[in-house]
Amino acid sequence: MKSYMIAALLVAAPLPALADKLEDLREQGFARIAIANEPPFTSVASDGKVSGAGPDVAREVFKRLGIDDVEASISEYGAMIPSLQAGRVDAVTAGLFMKPERCAAVAYSQPILCDAEALLVPAGNPKGFESYADIAADDSATMGAPGGGTEEKLALDAGVPRDRVIVVPDAQSGLKMLQDGRIDVYSLPVLSLNDLLAKSGDSNLEVFAPVKDAPVYCDGAAFNQRDTDLRDAFDVELAKLKESGEFAAIIEPYGFSAEAAISTDRDTLCAQE
Amino acid sequence: MFWDWDFAISITPTLLQGLKITILATVLGAIVAAVLGLVFAILRRSTNRLISRTTGFVVEFIRGTPLLVQLYFIFYILPDFGLRLPPLTAGVIGMGLHYATYFSEVYRGGIESVARGQWEAARAGNLNPRQTWVHVILPQAIPPMIPAMANYLLAMFKETPLLTAITVMEMMSQARSVANTSYRYVEPMTLVGVFFLIISIFSVFGLRWLERKFGGRAR
Repeated sequence: MKSYMIAALLVAAPLPALADKLEDLREQGFARIAIANEPPFTSVASDGKVSGAGPDVAREVFKRLGIDDVEASISEYGAMIPSLQAGRVDAVTAGLFMKPERCAAVAYSQPILCDAEALLVPAGNPKGFESYADIAADDSATMGAPGGGTEEKLALDAGVPRDRVIVVPDAQSGLKMLQDGRIDVYSLPVLSLNDLLAKSGDSNLEVFAPVKDAPVYCDGAAFNQRDTDLRDAFDVELAKLKESGEFAAIIEPYGFSAEAAISTDRDTLCAQE
Repeated sequence: MFWDWDFAISITPTLLQGLKITILATVLGAIVAAVLGLVFAILRRSTNRLISRTTGFVVEFIRGTPLLVQLYFIFYILPDFGLRLPPLTAGVIGMGLHYATYFSEVYRGGIESVARGQWEAARAGNLNPRQTWVHVILPQAIPPMIPAMANYLLAMFKETPLLTAITVMEMMSQARSVANTSYRYVEPMTLVGVFFLIISIFSVFGLRWLERKFGGRAR
């Protein structure tokens, strides 16, 4: 097995000088990744099988790096970067969109999954919300969003006061809170909300997408800043996947656009507020 | 990771906001628990077996299930039955109800420690049940309970971070929300610990004082 791996490695060649981290992971046979449970970005089936576009791409790239498998742990978005910094996980592949302050805190790979923001509202959008500014303008409106997620930040930046942005622990709770009338709108990326709405089968709700004035974001696999060598190795294999079309074959069934990720790069996204 | 004083100072007002909610939830929860606990304790002593058995079952049921599960029930499941409580109210009711069952055991211990002769004397003195409770039993039963109750109050205070799960913005939620945007856990979590500790230490002094004043003394 080991000689096979080394052989595979030699064939895979021109890899950059490999850091100890990559060796360690190969030795260990798996990489620890942090995920949320937010299909189609990341999902955990009831039998515990981890899938979703993020982990699938990561699994394939790691396999090509000689790391056989990934071991996923579910975590809240806000806890992902701290656990990466604390060395509890080796990478975050959870649809954690690139933003300047995140780029300053972690080492991102090149873009993987791109999506715009959306709003889940009661059918007919009674309050007519089309942007976060609309929510800010309505004093009685409360909005749900994951803690530490992009939507929370965008809403706060658009002027929605802190006490009207309810931090929702997970997508299921957000859906329930909207159904119960505890919040007026629940915001997540387009594909996540479409998936959530389809699974709930609730005809009293609808998705408004894309949110006006909110940019399209892309995530990347996030690594600890000490592990830039691992990140660089990841990027090399990721670029090959993108080139061969296998990348599109993995993410497009989930509804993501491969073109969107290929047509942009880390530096552009990290500069985008 | 190193300690950043400027950052720690900048997040303190946010955490103090949360501390207010933490204290509010504890105080309101304790009031609910104290009143409801007494009701449970008295109902459990009822001579009507149906009442005492039912109360006993309810108390054991609540005491035997985790607070977090109860909070989820109250917050996420009750709306299906048409009861939609605001987060803080749901939290106060959840904690109050949960601790009421512990308080009721404390009351029970206190009541049972009142000498049997007192009951007999009350009856001999022709007092009705209300007078017996209010003038004879409770004044003797409550003082020895105070230290145990204060302990539960402290435990309750430290369990408030569970309310994060039902979106109450108490101190722990505020700290996590700070960590969410700063990616730093060191300062927010340390400060939360320190604030809890400060309040707990003051409470312990208060508790000692209560113990000296009332502990073991029967009137």
